[in-house]
Amino acid sequence: MPPAAFSGVGNPRFLVPLRAAWRDWLAQDAAVLSYVFKVWLAAVLALWISLRFDLAQPRTAMMTVVIVMQSARSGMVFAKSFYRFVGTVVGILVSLLLVALFAQERFLFLLAMALWIGFCTAGSMVFRNHQSYGFVLAGYTLCIVGLPATVSPELTFTIAMTRISEILIGLSCATLVSDLVFSQRLWVVIQEAVRRRFKDFSDLLRLVAHPAAAPVDLLPALVRFASDIFTLESFRSAAVMENDRSRTQRLRLSLLNGEFMTVSTTFHALHALMQRQRRGGHERVKDALLDLYQPLGDVFTVQGRSAANETEAQIVAQGVRRYREDFQPLAARAGADLPGQLTREELLDFETGVDLIERFAEELQAYTNTYVAIGSGHHPLQEDLALDTPLELSLRFDRLAVVLAGLRGALTLTVLATLWILTDWPSGIEAIVLGVVTSTLFATAPAPTQVIKQFVAGALLASVMLYAVNFLWLDQAQNWVTLALVLSPVILFAAWLSTFARIAVFGGSALIVFFSHVGFGTGYTADPETYLNESLADVLAILTSGVMYGLIDLSNSGWMRRRTATALRALVADACRNPVVPRRAQLENAARDLVQRLGSAQRLADAGDREVAQWLLSTLETGHAVLALRQQMALLTREEPWLQLCLLRLADLYEAPGGTRRAATLKALEEATERLEQPQLRAQHTLTQVRALRTSLHFLRGVVLDEVSVLASVAPLEALQPA
Amino acid sequence: MIPREIDLFEALVPTLLFAFVLAALLLLLLDWVLVRYRLYRYLWYPALFRLALFIVLFSLCGLWIY
Repeated sequence: MPPAAFSGVGNPRFLVPLRAAWRDWLAQDAAVLSYVFKVWLAAVLALWISLRFDLAQPRTAMMTVVIVMQSARSGMVFAKSFYRFVGTVVGILVSLLLVALFAQERFLFLLAMALWIGFCTAGSMVFRNHQSYGFVLAGYTLCIVGLPATVSPELTFTIAMTRISEILIGLSCATLVSDLVFSQRLWVVIQEAVRRRFKDFSDLLRLVAHPAAAPVDLLPALVRFASDIFTLESFRSAAVMENDRSRTQRLRLSLLNGEFMTVSTTFHALHALMQRQRRGGHERVKDALLDLYQPLGDVFTVQGRSAANETEAQIVAQGVRRYREDFQPLAARAGADLPGQLTREELLDFETGVDLIERFAEELQAYTNTYVAIGSGHHPLQEDLALDTPLELSLRFDRLAVVLAGLRGALTLTVLATLWILTDWPSGIEAIVLGVVTSTLFATAPAPTQVIKQFVAGALLASVMLYAVNFLWLDQAQNWVTLALVLSPVILFAAWLSTFARIAVFGGSALIVFFSHVGFGTGYTADPETYLNESLADVLAILTSGVMYGLIDLSNSGWMRRRTATALRALVADACRNPVVPRRAQLENAARDLVQRLGSAQRLADAGDREVAQWLLSTLETGHAVLALRQQMALLTREEPWLQLCLLRLADLYEAPGGTRRAATLKALEEATERLEQPQLRAQHTLTQVRALRTSLHFLRGVVLDEVSVLASVAPLEALQPA
Repeated sequence: MIPREIDLFEALVPTLLFAFVLAALLLLLLDWVLVRYRLYRYLWYPALFRLALFIVLFSLCGLWIY
């Protein structure tokens, strides 16, 4: 990186502002320009190759280019290309099969097609990122190849071969250009994201160490972290394609992600505990815990600000290690400094807090060390470490939602196909194709209706551009150079539009619709009647799928939010009841995945989504404590039924929250805590075991008792108390 | 003499296509070796090198066929 290397001493002073301006330009404008240029170059290259090979529809190759190059990063382009290829091949094979079976029967053909599209949409809801995209593609390729075949079955094979050749040309051009020209490595983005996250987390740790007057709201930051984990994971899986980075680095990244999950959950638990102390009037306990925590938070202050880069993280890692070494005496001193007249509960609170801080410091050390290792790439990763905690992001999905999404895709097809058959509309096939594409492609988007609005606008823009290109300029194009000249303004303009994150879909859809109807194949093919029909078909198709998204709303409805909250609580119940103790990472993944699929993280301003996010945090907090308790129970020499009872009560409470159940849970927890004090129990189990059990139980009690929590809002205790 | 086209389920497929796939597989293998022994350190522009390597492999296969 030249800017960093140049910025040493000895620069002429007048160059400094220029250099800063240059850096800014390089970081922002140059990236946009290079992206637009790359899209244009790849598209023109694809056009040239298609013309050289005399393929029937060069526009398919160009459309492929603009679709897979929607991300500027090489690795993302590779991953998307790969799954686009796989999806297309599968789709084509299925089309050939269906044409062979039902070529004469349009009705049966459409029925089989609806089934297949439903299946593929459901598949795209189950998988993530580019795999999901592969499923969508396998679905709608059937429309593109299979539908024209119902009109002229003898052409099926030719259509299929042309399509796959053109898609391959488009993919090759896109990957070549994004790899060779101003390539932007995904690994760089990953490092930036990891660095930013570390800095954000440092900010948070410091903020909590020195709280201002107002309580800190951690929710937005914690939820953002949760969605960051998924972004990073998708980057990581795409980075496999950029194969000049070693496998160990990727393993390490996955390890880092896992460690970050646990450390952020523990941090939230710690913060929530201190908040509860403050609210419960145990100021002294809170102050003591805060004093104990402060040195740890201060470790993250390097040169007066939050630690961010790897060098600073190295200092932090040493600081955390020192803190852990000194922890026992520090905690003992803090305990001795507590005022004498504390209640037993307050002492328990303090003990629980100390345990939590200790665990937090331990996890923090692991996280910081991994972060340092990723930055430097020197520390050899111990193999056993890598094998011990592979972060497999589990596929946790809502079966009903998956089925409904499949139904939506199939329904769009049915509606548009009925229209096509009844009216004998010549552009019916175009309408079906685009309708199926839009109603399946955005099934996993956080807010599909918003996306659809942008898509319609993009289609309208494309219609305007199509008019100009098809009827004013295109008839004068003679060869590759003139064709490229005619198409360039559109490509450059729409690609430039798509660089703005807020309207990326607008630009992208303009390009896609433009390349589906631009009027040239092997010769000039545009005619006004087709143009009007197709423009109408586009708008109608997109609107139909918009209506479908509105009818079967899987992301933005209260119903779906309630389902997600229930599913989150079921995770806690499962952690309590499951005969095999689930692993911590499993719980973390599953809970975060559920919320990620709902897309709440992007809409925290909404009260309903905020509640889901709170359920996420509550689930993680309680789930962790339950798992810790169960691990301690497994170490005991004999089973204690009263501990089992606590778990059962907790499971009941989380399965169907209610005031009675909450009271019963509290009672069980309190009784269990009291039993721990009994002398005969102390004789059976070691002192550390009893202490660990006591703090776990007390922590759970604190969580359930908390009146400001989301749990309390659905299971109020007041209703029970007699007046 | 290697045939120019191969009969695959009664569709004539150019042998060059198989050569393309073969070259791609060879490239993946070589690429793995280069990553494994960290040889990319010595290259100025790995992406360009990979492309060139692929063209060399593909051309070799092509020359072998024709």
